[in-house]
Amino acid sequence: MNPTQELSQTNGTHGAHPLSDDVASFYHLRHGEYAGKACQGTACFAAQHLNPERWAEAMRNNPRVYCLGECFASPAKGQTQPRPPVRICSKHGIVLGRIAAGGARSVAAYVKQGGYAAVTKALAGTPEQVLAAVEKSGLRGRGGAGFPTGRKWRAVAQQPPGVKYVVANADEGDAGAYIDRYLMEDDPHSLIEGMILAGYAVGAAKGYIYVRTEYPLAGSVLRGALVEARSEGWLGPRVGGTNFAFDIEITVGHGSYVCGEETSLLRSIEGKRPEVMARPPYPTERGVFNRPTLLNNVETLVNVPWIVNNGGEAYAAIGCSKSRGTKALSLNSLFVRPGLYEVEFGVTVRHIVEELGGGLRDGGKLKGVLIGGPIIGIVPAHLIDTPLGFEELGAIGAGVGHGGVVAFDEHTSIPDLVQHVFSFGSYESCGKCTPCRSGSGRVEKIFDRALAGSATRADLQECRDLVVALKLASLCGHGTGLARFAESILKYYPTEIEPCFK
Amino acid sequence: MFQVTINGTSHALPEGLTINQALQRIGLEVPDLCNDDRLQPYGSCRLCSVEVKDMGALATACNTQIRDGMEVLTDSPTVRGVRRTLLGLLAANYPAEAVAEFPDKEFHRYLRQYDVKAGGTRATPQPAVPFMKDASHPYINIDMSQCVTCFRCVRICEEVQGQFVWKAWNRGGETRILPVRGETLLDGGCVSCGACVDTCPSGALEDLTVLARGTPTEWTKTICSYCGTGCEVEVGTRDGAITTIRPSPGGPSNHGHTCVKGRYAFDYVYAEERVTSPMIRRDGEWQDVSWDEAIAYIAGRLGEAVARHGPDSVGILSSARGTNEENFVAQKFARVVLGTNNIDCCARVCHSPTAAAMKMTLGTGAATNSLDEIALARTIIVCGANPTEGHPVTGARIKQAALHGANLIIVDPRKIELCDYATLHLQLNAGTNVILFNAMGATIVEEGLVDEEFLRTRITEYAEYRDFIREFAPEKVEELCGVPAAKIRQAARLYATAKPSLSVHGLGMTEHIQGTEGIMALVNLALLTGNIGKPGTGINPLRGQNNVQGAPHMGCEPKLMAGYVPIEKVRTQFEAAWHGPVPTNPGLNMIEMLEASLAGKLKILWAIGYDIVMTNPNTHETRRAMEQVDLVIVQDLFLNATAREFGDVFLPASSSFEKDGTFMNGERRIQRVRGAAKPRGQARNDWEPLCDVARAMGRGKEMSYGSAEEIWNEVRSLWPEGAGISYARLDQLGGLQWPCFDENDPGTPILHVDTFTHGKTTALRRIEFVPPPELVSPEFPFILTTGRNLYQYNAATQTSRTPSNRLHATDYLQISPGDATRLGLSEGDMVRLSSKQGAAHLPAQISGNVKPGEVYTTFHNARVFLNQITTSHRDRYTKTPEYKITAVRVEKLHAPVPAALAH
Repeated sequence: MNPTQELSQTNGTHGAHPLSDDVASFYHLRHGEYAGKACQGTACFAAQHLNPERWAEAMRNNPRVYCLGECFASPAKGQTQPRPPVRICSKHGIVLGRIAAGGARSVAAYVKQGGYAAVTKALAGTPEQVLAAVEKSGLRGRGGAGFPTGRKWRAVAQQPPGVKYVVANADEGDAGAYIDRYLMEDDPHSLIEGMILAGYAVGAAKGYIYVRTEYPLAGSVLRGALVEARSEGWLGPRVGGTNFAFDIEITVGHGSYVCGEETSLLRSIEGKRPEVMARPPYPTERGVFNRPTLLNNVETLVNVPWIVNNGGEAYAAIGCSKSRGTKALSLNSLFVRPGLYEVEFGVTVRHIVEELGGGLRDGGKLKGVLIGGPIIGIVPAHLIDTPLGFEELGAIGAGVGHGGVVAFDEHTSIPDLVQHVFSFGSYESCGKCTPCRSGSGRVEKIFDRALAGSATRADLQECRDLVVALKLASLCGHGTGLARFAESILKYYPTEIEPCFK
Repeated sequence: MFQVTINGTSHALPEGLTINQALQRIGLEVPDLCNDDRLQPYGSCRLCSVEVKDMGALATACNTQIRDGMEVLTDSPTVRGVRRTLLGLLAANYPAEAVAEFPDKEFHRYLRQYDVKAGGTRATPQPAVPFMKDASHPYINIDMSQCVTCFRCVRICEEVQGQFVWKAWNRGGETRILPVRGETLLDGGCVSCGACVDTCPSGALEDLTVLARGTPTEWTKTICSYCGTGCEVEVGTRDGAITTIRPSPGGPSNHGHTCVKGRYAFDYVYAEERVTSPMIRRDGEWQDVSWDEAIAYIAGRLGEAVARHGPDSVGILSSARGTNEENFVAQKFARVVLGTNNIDCCARVCHSPTAAAMKMTLGTGAATNSLDEIALARTIIVCGANPTEGHPVTGARIKQAALHGANLIIVDPRKIELCDYATLHLQLNAGTNVILFNAMGATIVEEGLVDEEFLRTRITEYAEYRDFIREFAPEKVEELCGVPAAKIRQAARLYATAKPSLSVHGLGMTEHIQGTEGIMALVNLALLTGNIGKPGTGINPLRGQNNVQGAPHMGCEPKLMAGYVPIEKVRTQFEAAWHGPVPTNPGLNMIEMLEASLAGKLKILWAIGYDIVMTNPNTHETRRAMEQVDLVIVQDLFLNATAREFGDVFLPASSSFEKDGTFMNGERRIQRVRGAAKPRGQARNDWEPLCDVARAMGRGKEMSYGSAEEIWNEVRSLWPEGAGISYARLDQLGGLQWPCFDENDPGTPILHVDTFTHGKTTALRRIEFVPPPELVSPEFPFILTTGRNLYQYNAATQTSRTPSNRLHATDYLQISPGDATRLGLSEGDMVRLSSKQGAAHLPAQISGNVKPGEVYTTFHNARVFLNQITTSHRDRYTKTPEYKITAVRVEKLHAPVPAALAH
């Protein structure tokens, strides 16, 4: 026998990771405590006047439940498994096409709609061809940061051959976003196909899907889909009858918003305390189990089969400026027509609010929109002519984020909103870096006082200082996102904030 | 090189530095709380944030790499403002009293520097999720209301000690640092190394001694006086008394780490029963006398004995706890003043077989490689050693290596802590080391895993070895040694192919009748696989005492002179230097001295820092021998068993905190020992009375030294391999590994690179197995093995006089659950443990770590006095006692526990 072969076996094993007590204490929904509970996510906050009793109930929950992915019917309670309306408002239904057509939970239904053709095509060619198509497409990460997907894939592909991983970030925790949930529940094979393509392109044989525990149906649909994909030969040692081996495992979260942050998510898969890790090293170099890891959001991966089938150029032809392709958006219950929409980048926020959403219900007056929030800058009513684009929204302090669109009307008091967002931010902080661990809670407390009428001008100055520290010195996007939110509020709604501080 | 502009000034800096490292190079500092050079950069406190041009946010200096053309501002108004905000958050509820009482703590300095006031007091009520407060540990106080959540304790426990005791619990603002389980540190499996206290920037974790006696006003850099790792430490004193000890950040053998003994077990220095005046026993009563009287008395008695019975009627036992200088003077005293080679030291009872075997096979009787190389090895084999207890800092490094992916192979009859991290545990039958290593050798030969290049250029007698070793094929010997053949083969494959492979070993290898031969069998494996003379390889004895490498090396060996060379080889040089003859009579080693005493030939025994009655095996026999000695001189800190039972003259010694000199650690590194406190009372350095007695005997000229350095300079003038090691260089460089031939020589971390010390090649040894003479019988059905515990040290002369006693109060007899059931034993039951030699009483501890049919105990407790039952069997080459195997009987003690044993 070859002794060095034996060696790699000796050292290359990873056991299962039952949570140790200290790690378990990080999470707040280890035992499914979200089940049947009212939600206090930002979309439900914005819609609290529609059902004040339910909102009051939500606020009493301990542990808290933030976003169940039913924001089109908020304030939401429990997992009622409703289906949101779905509309394709772009030339191609790249992301939501199959769901709009009734969904495709089985391999047969998926193949009937053209599914797994991209894998077949890719496996007939080289990994480099898949990589090149993704690079050409101009696809950017749909999870919030908008990082060029092709560049990330290239970085992993360029790592020396060896064990690599593909991880799908299905921890869609941004309150107001429910895109990935319905993609996984109604079109699971599109994610699986995207992951297979990613694995082929970067040289990985193993994938993980990290699903938040608040999406139990997504988890069970995916599990079924994986079993079926394996039996149909799309996963396993011989994908599509070739020598390419790829399989996927599902990891379910235990209740923690910050686990959607990439380093935290990877540590959570490993069973470690999911605190955010300083970068570098980036996951592309040292990710899960210290191996090169490609981590993409669900929607990002779902775009890939279309890109492989139609070519990167075709994808790049859609969209505007540096934001190419389409974006799925989820509109909250304050709109006349809430639901899932697929649009091309470049449409204005006004178009989204007025044309797609049909304006606010009950004749409500738009006060602002949080896109991809709440840990992001707000779009005030007077700037809704800004086009949907990473740079365009970034220029006004907002962002594309995850694509959740939460509108606020005059029922929402801005100081209340600040208190709500910082309460959420501080509750979900991992606790590693000083500004976020202590600063977010401090801002929350100051706004508690502001709402009670006992805050001073000095408190407001302290808030401003804390926002600067959060913005400049936070370890991850959780803290900087809170700062962006607060900055946009202080900038666009001074008349609502300043009177609270005497 | 990168050009980096820092605060407006351009600097050329090497690539690959972090901003922090760059700042250190140019003498700038930024505040940080989560950073510690011993740990991976973590980036959590954010205090080291600096402004970097064209970056959106600030960059943390600890983990941001410099780039060419980078422009950095370390102290801009923005940066200062952010730091102030962050410090304000950390100080919001922080007890102001602590800031005032301990102004030098890192966090407290920053608060002053940034003019931030602590917003809490000690009376501030606990928050809803309370902070841990606990003072139950004998050494460590915990008050987490002072925690600044830098996670350094959590990380150092994981990244340096590898104990995983401290954990971050909860999240966000409710994040709390708590033990991994239970209510206290000890519940959590703490080994009390104090690393968390050492790194804590605020005093949330603090040494109890500092709280009780105040922060030190002076720090003295010196070397730990426990095991042979040779940790460099800094001793903190206040008003001349030791208040705390911390690891020295630059310590070459410990890199800023210590163990519980090195950091905490120092209070024996101040023990009430410490003897601080010379004493002579007259009519059975100890009487304080002056030094002059003691010296005159000893000189008179020695002169008389030498005149009447000849110089060989005197024996001197020197101490492996003493400095090189003291040992050198002791052997010179024996040889020059008395005219005898009857000089030995306690290396006799530990690693003499190692030194002998390695001297024979490789040409140098010392570790071939360095402790730092543990991190380089892909395979580490630990043979007959329990490093996490006996050599904890080295043990921690081995554990880290295993955690970072090295293959760890444990050879031990007992399951030790490192087995939890090991690839393989070869749980052999006690006393079958030779079989096991031969079987590994047979595997390497049979499976073609020999390093051909090394074989061709460096090895002889391979053909003979090949033919000889066939008989040891694993399948043929597995039953005899108790390890399945497949495991033996797997171990051999790993050692031979997952290279570099490094071996460390302890007394489980040496304290056998085949001690020396076992080491030779192990050396064979290194030779066969070319695991020698390269980084991350070698044969590395873990020396048990601070200077057990140095004491024999200074000539405290009957047959060897300073430099560990046979007398006849260097007689001319020494006689020239000493202006007189070196005795020609063969000297007696410690065992032979006792034999001579039984024969009425040894009249005087001078034991320096060596409690032979307590530590020699088969106490009954030791006592019989000691009874025959006319005069016993004991030089020690305490009235030890030897002094109590047989002493006639007692000379108070200084502790290692009270003297100057050097120690030689287990990796051949000479390091400086510096006095941190004055000797208590009339205690003196060991070499001083020896010189005084010489003077009183009219031989003052040869034995006149003004300082330890003078002695050392004589050593290096006579020992070419140490010639380059001057005090000046040691002070400057912090330690040098011999060979070091001149003052430009950087020293030698790795031996035998191109040639062995005695020539280009060496022969493989064919080692036959000789079964241990101790066999189980119906009368004595168990095999007893012995070892050390983390908290106590050898005869516990020191540690039993410290709060460590609370951490390990007594020795236990470990017995397997099945055997315990059969004997009707429950946990804690007192048992009578007896052998042909005698009996001891101690409580039972039921443990799956020992095999059925074997029992195990430590040997620290003077009340248990384990050596009453150990045997008189000896290593066939060096006469080192076979402490590791005794056939014993275990009986439940039904009678009430004797009062002397109650604890």
